[in-house]
Amino acid sequence: MNPYLYLDRDTFVHRLDPRTKMFLLLGAFVLVFIYLNPLYQLAVLAVILFFGYLAKMLVNLKRIWFILVMISVMTVLLWSIFGSGETPLFLFFELESLLYGLAIALRIVGAIIAGMIFLSTTRNEEIATGLVKLGIPYRFAFAVSTALRLVPTIAATGSTIGQAQRSRGLDLESGNIIQRIRKNVPLLIPVFVSTIRSTNVFSMALESKGFGAGKERTYVLELHITRRDVLAMVLFLLVLAAALAIRLAGYGGLEGFTR
Amino acid sequence: MGDRPFESHEGAPALAARPVVEIRDLTYSYRGRREPALRGVNLEIREGEFVVIMGPSGAGKSTLCAALNGLVPHFFRGRMQGEVRIRGRSTGEGRVGEFAREVGLVFQDFEAQLFSTNVALEVAFGPENFRVDREEILRRTEEALARVRLQGFENRQPATLSGGQKQRLAIASVLAMEPHILCLDEPTTDLDPIGKQEVLQISAELRRRRDMTLIVVEHETEETLEADRIVILRDGEVVCDRPAREVLRDVELLEENRVMPLQVARFFHGLGVRKEELPLTPREGVNQFRERGFRVDERCYEELLRRDEEREKSYGEPLIEVEELAFSYPGGVAALEDVNLTVRRGEFLAVVGQNGSGKTTLVKHFNGLLMPTRGSVRVGGEETREQGVRLLGRRIGYVFQNPDHQIFSDTVFDEVAFGPKLRGLGEGEVKERVTEALAAVGLEGYEEEDPFGLTKGERQRVAVASILAGRPEVVILDEPTTGLDYAEQRSMMELVRRLNESGSTIIVVTHTMWVVAEYAHRAVVMRDGRVALSGSVREVLSHEKELVEASLRPPHIVSMSNELGHPALSVEEMLYITERDGR
Repeated sequence: MNPYLYLDRDTFVHRLDPRTKMFLLLGAFVLVFIYLNPLYQLAVLAVILFFGYLAKMLVNLKRIWFILVMISVMTVLLWSIFGSGETPLFLFFELESLLYGLAIALRIVGAIIAGMIFLSTTRNEEIATGLVKLGIPYRFAFAVSTALRLVPTIAATGSTIGQAQRSRGLDLESGNIIQRIRKNVPLLIPVFVSTIRSTNVFSMALESKGFGAGKERTYVLELHITRRDVLAMVLFLLVLAAALAIRLAGYGGLEGFTR
Repeated sequence: MGDRPFESHEGAPALAARPVVEIRDLTYSYRGRREPALRGVNLEIREGEFVVIMGPSGAGKSTLCAALNGLVPHFFRGRMQGEVRIRGRSTGEGRVGEFAREVGLVFQDFEAQLFSTNVALEVAFGPENFRVDREEILRRTEEALARVRLQGFENRQPATLSGGQKQRLAIASVLAMEPHILCLDEPTTDLDPIGKQEVLQISAELRRRRDMTLIVVEHETEETLEADRIVILRDGEVVCDRPAREVLRDVELLEENRVMPLQVARFFHGLGVRKEELPLTPREGVNQFRERGFRVDERCYEELLRRDEEREKSYGEPLIEVEELAFSYPGGVAALEDVNLTVRRGEFLAVVGQNGSGKTTLVKHFNGLLMPTRGSVRVGGEETREQGVRLLGRRIGYVFQNPDHQIFSDTVFDEVAFGPKLRGLGEGEVKERVTEALAAVGLEGYEEEDPFGLTKGERQRVAVASILAGRPEVVILDEPTTGLDYAEQRSMMELVRRLNESGSTIIVVTHTMWVVAEYAHRAVVMRDGRVALSGSVREVLSHEKELVEASLRPPHIVSMSNELGHPALSVEEMLYITERDGR
């Protein structure tokens, strides 16, 4: 299995400078925070998904659809239960708290998908180089890209370990919550040990390739802010401004919801 | 191959007045370990030499490699005495980064040392750190990739490469720093035969460049024939440092130091041929066999075949039946196609094939970790689909390749008791089974040991014991000998043989061909998800051409005996069927 989220496609999103994409990602995080009305949130999500479609990365969402669904269901449920509104539906559910829960769920899903679009279209090295170009020290930028790389690798090791322990009779699906948590010990310890071992080799390999040998280093990847980047940023700023204007004009809020 | 002993020795010395590597009285102790990893090592390596370092596990081979670019003493914590000089400069004087350009170090674990998202960037990483010009880096990247024959792979993700390709990429990423010395620490251990050959070919080509010094840690003796010198380490000391062909002829020395001797040499040694005259390769062996007028005793050979046949008749009822099995991973990649196979009680089956040929995918169907996409797999007459992993786990034990992927307990006892406890057995019964399993793997008295403190070979045994404690009818072992030294491999396989003789059905997934030849009864060769060859080991190994097509290669003694028209599977068998004067 491919441990990376990055999809090597040739789309205009891929060709954007990583700094532009970081800007767009931050913008997307602002965008999802503007509205409280689930209908408006849905429109925001549609914009994000359309962008993902242009980047040809929607297949990557298959990997996390389960997490997205779980988060959505939990969010809607919790807000419906703990929030309060004016229009009772049934039991202790009110229309406003349900809508609010929906909006928050869409907000979280939108933010995650925006992050996925970024990771699916930007190489680790581009992220690191982009951060360096923004003035972040190289060591820190490299650490960020290493962390991004480590997550899928650990997931792959975890899956092998899961198979090994299931072969020995470990059954993760039965028992109450505490029993289930305890059953993860045979998975977590080997994952931990294997990760530490391979991280050790990794750091030796880094040293052996002269990581941090001098203060300065060359970057093979060249980054250029082109007209395309400027255009993308301006367009996106316009969308953001329009979205803010609509909200300030009094649309897209949610009346009658109290915590 | 190999008809020019000592040639480069006579040719080379004039080149370099001063050795490129000088090690003087090097003693090194890791912090927290009582025994030093290296003691009083003296070693000189001249420019352009090809030196192979051999020795059992824990001999200090990797520590020696790490001392060449300053990882020892700068990266590890410990105490160092003595000195290592690289082209005249002591490693104590500078940081690892400075020596990294002189000595390129490639590690065994190719997964952990590759971290870029594409091949070209991986190669560029080293020179980038040294502030090499961008244009120059691009040139070097191209050259390094050409040298390891990975042109055209520039945009591939390293994760999508085969094992051999990954290791070659690791070599290229070091070559791009243009080191004078290249040190490969067990570069072929985790590779299948074709991957091994790919890497060895690269190193053979590299050593043709006079200015490149090559230091390789290797434990497969068959791969060392091209070396100038062999250095054997044991318990941190140099016990032998002599021309390669001289060392390879010293069968007793190798065996004493837990290094596998060449089979052909061992065979002729067994016949009493003098050390100086021992042939090394199958080709040389065949020639000498004929020159000396040895012949194969037909009656003895018939006896071997008769024993094979008898053993085949002793198998019990079918335990695992695979019919028309096809399997595709989610996403549609076909991994198995049209596989038919029956495993009977008491058999010892080897499933062989190169990485990615589908051998592990196949055996994972036997204990229900994978379910057929089409076709059927029956265990004990019932579909695996009906039984599931939990139920199947009671009959079919599966030992995974890496013991570290399963060990988690504080004590060996708890680790081995894990399975039986999960199955709800009483305390007395659990204890009995643990004792029995530890006895079977030769780890009696280790109950209270911490499994993480054991050697790799011992951890492997703990993993096997933890499966045996479930008293399975079939034991599947995935690459049980990988990463072990010769003595450990032997004792692991002797253990498996004993299990088989006491009634367990054994399935071994491996690409170590001498293990297949000497221990298994029957072999299935997988190639591109299909069964390419299947039959008794003797029969399968006699089809050299088909094996090569499946990227495999029979062991030397089998190659030699094939040539002589009577496939023998081990040195002992070959000795048994050889007729000489005065017998």
